[in-house]
Amino acid sequence: MALSRKCVPFTPFDRELAKSSIAIVTAGGVHMKEQEPFNIADELGDLTFRIIPPDVDSKNLMVTHHHYDHSDADHDINVVFPIDVLRDLVEEGFVGGVARKHVGYMGYTMQLKAMYEGTAPEIANEIDRGSRADAVVLTGG
Amino acid sequence: MKGIPTVLITVSPEVSGQMRPPRALYPKGFKIGNSLGKPGMRELQRKVLRDALTLLTENTRPGSVITLEYPEYGDYFEPPKVRAEKQ
Repeated sequence: MALSRKCVPFTPFDRELAKSSIAIVTAGGVHMKEQEPFNIADELGDLTFRIIPPDVDSKNLMVTHHHYDHSDADHDINVVFPIDVLRDLVEEGFVGGVARKHVGYMGYTMQLKAMYEGTAPEIANEIDRGSRADAVVLTGG
Repeated sequence: MKGIPTVLITVSPEVSGQMRPPRALYPKGFKIGNSLGKPGMRELQRKVLRDALTLLTENTRPGSVITLEYPEYGDYFEPPKVRAEKQ
């Protein structure tokens, strides 16, 4: 099913936050240090994404992105990828859990059609199939 | 296709608004690269994340961006504007 660009793809949320598992998807170029960095040499951008596991040590995350100043994220990844913050909210009972999969990609591309028709549905499928997320928090840089 | 409820935290409300996100929070004056606040400001980061998640449970208008103020951020950065297109 193709979505019209004019419609707002609104999915209702009919659960309680305290019983919901939350995934984070960021366009901020976040990935684990041992994962392949995004290709910032390609002027067209990088259409790939990285799966980040729920138990990741936030100190093992980094940013590869050359279209915003990520020096603050280099000190504290939570400013763009709030994984420790999400854990805090689980601890305090505000949300039910951390989803099984999170995603980082580089939200800069000159290949908008490929991003919209390829990368975006692939990320949605990863979240849908594997993360058991009840809702997703999206962040940019 | 199954839908997944989402909420966006954006520091470029005008740019993000063009994509008409189903739910979005703009923490007013936060700079690009500081979606949740500044490094180490964990209480502020928790507040922003709680507020974003709370939008999931409220009847916000799909396609609009909700602006909230967080004085504890301590700075104001002008968000990027959408470049005017020729008609």
